[in-house]
Amino acid sequence: MLPGRGVGCLPDNPLGLSWHDSNWIPMLNSNNILDYFSERSNPFYDRSCNNEAIKMQRLSMDQLSNMIGLEYCLLHVQEPILYVVRKQHRHSPTHSTPIADFYIVAGIVYQAPDLLSIINSHMMSSAYHLETAFEELNSLARFHPSKGYSWENRRPGQPTGPVTAPPPSPVKVTGKRDIEEASSQFQRLRVDMLLVELTRKFPLPLPQALQAAPQNNINNQQTNEVSKKEMKQEIKQEMIQDINIKQESQPTNSLSPPMRPPPEKKFKPA
Amino acid sequence: MDSKSKKYEIIEFLGEGQFATVYKAKDLVTNNIVAVKKIKVGTVEDAKDGVNRTALREIKLLIELDHENIIALFDVFGHLSNISLVYDFMDTDLEVIIKDSSIVFTQSHIKAYTIMTLKGLEYLHMNWILHRDLKPNNLLVNKKGILKIADFGLAKRFGTPDRLHTHRVVTRFYRAPELLFGARAYGPAVDIWAVGCIVAELLLRVPFLPGESDLDQLTKIFTTLGSPNEETWPGVAKLSDYVVFKKFPAIPLREIFTAAPNELLDVIGGMLNVNPLMRPTCSEALQMPYFSNRPPPSLGSQLPIPSCIRESNPEDQDAKGQKRKFTDYSEGGNYNFD
Repeated sequence: MLPGRGVGCLPDNPLGLSWHDSNWIPMLNSNNILDYFSERSNPFYDRSCNNEAIKMQRLSMDQLSNMIGLEYCLLHVQEPILYVVRKQHRHSPTHSTPIADFYIVAGIVYQAPDLLSIINSHMMSSAYHLETAFEELNSLARFHPSKGYSWENRRPGQPTGPVTAPPPSPVKVTGKRDIEEASSQFQRLRVDMLLVELTRKFPLPLPQALQAAPQNNINNQQTNEVSKKEMKQEIKQEMIQDINIKQESQPTNSLSPPMRPPPEKKFKPA
Repeated sequence: MDSKSKKYEIIEFLGEGQFATVYKAKDLVTNNIVAVKKIKVGTVEDAKDGVNRTALREIKLLIELDHENIIALFDVFGHLSNISLVYDFMDTDLEVIIKDSSIVFTQSHIKAYTIMTLKGLEYLHMNWILHRDLKPNNLLVNKKGILKIADFGLAKRFGTPDRLHTHRVVTRFYRAPELLFGARAYGPAVDIWAVGCIVAELLLRVPFLPGESDLDQLTKIFTTLGSPNEETWPGVAKLSDYVVFKKFPAIPLREIFTAAPNELLDVIGGMLNVNPLMRPTCSEALQMPYFSNRPPPSLGSQLPIPSCIRESNPEDQDAKGQKRKFTDYSEGGNYNFD
């Protein structure tokens, strides 16, 4: 499952939805953006909200803060391209609880995903790539009764086998590359910043074994352990640098298979 | 009789209509605050006919009625050649509340007002009385949030099949299409239509169908709700003042009342059916899902109080100019009697 995709399969999950009205797009500005958002065809707009009640009663929107219940407000403006609308439950003129944020980029409305969905999606994609890597490695391990375990030597660029044609379809792979090309330095930095900020807020307890690991790599089993840890680090890195890592992991798998022992390799008695 | 007028002490002047002057007064026996409506003597010709007709209707009907949502007539007394009627004192009316732009109605408010109106009207209809002049101005509301139907100057008993009524009733904005087409054998459905218009006005905060003349009123009705034909309203062409209208499609109510829940749209759609026979009765309307669904109607104390009442203490009466206006006689030329 690729980030941001699989969730859209659920019909009741709004994260896969977008909405726009092309008639409005040329004239959007911070004054009419809430009117645009309150278009009846916008699936993100709940017409039982206080905004609509006030609008129908032809009253001033200033009344909004005196009401209790569901309301929409303009949270952030970065003209002319980005507007963020917040859906919130108002308890009093000074107290309200956010329910969801919607961002309007170039006139197209999306619901901002919640943190759980983002982390879920990133975990899923990390796990997916990890699994593909393991499957690939597995397919390259060979055993011969007299020689024991060995890696299959494969000419680079050989199109056969599961190595160069892993389960994700080529369409998806190219799609991913497109995304990567499109992501700017700014976006990557921004994601890093958000995640760093997040890890500062919720620090991860560092596992003790990780710090001791690099010192002993004589034993095969321990190397095995190390490789696992490298993988762990890779996951972490992937989470932080997101898409960047995904491609890196692919050439590593196909170009330098003999560097690592197969995971199930056992200690050979001399 | 003279002793009775001394039973009440006038506190302040409330308003004036064509036929009466209304004062806020204190009942010196019970210490209750009441409203005293002093019927004007009128012209010499009027006086020749005896007691004023609106007063007579009101006395005749109200004296027998007793319901929480109907204005109570406590007392009637004569002083010199005047007749005075003593009612519940009501702080304000729905028109003032609707026009107060500092008030935002919630769904619960609207439901509460609608239920109280329908309960009062259900009681009237059960007692074979047509109100025939329902409008926000005639729905009085007190500080406790209780709504009472008032002004029975046009009310009439109905139910005798051969007895015809005049169609020149009801303030124009709230007048049902059969009245505008000159029907003389109509029934409680004319009151239901008016309630439908009032509920719509609660939602929009402006009159829903503000016709400038009787013909314009019909045009407004049909351009909004669709023009009738023999299929949607059998027998419409036989009404005496029937006018053929161009075919207008109905505007979906959802597009007019954008923030109203679907169940409320069903209620409005039923009450504003151009065919009077298709409109629900009060009891049927009250059984509709809207009234039992969430959110529940507001309790009386949670209902909004207009700013002019909120600010003025009983001692401080500077805001009385904004209080109830007795404008009901000026609109639509509606006070012709059978």
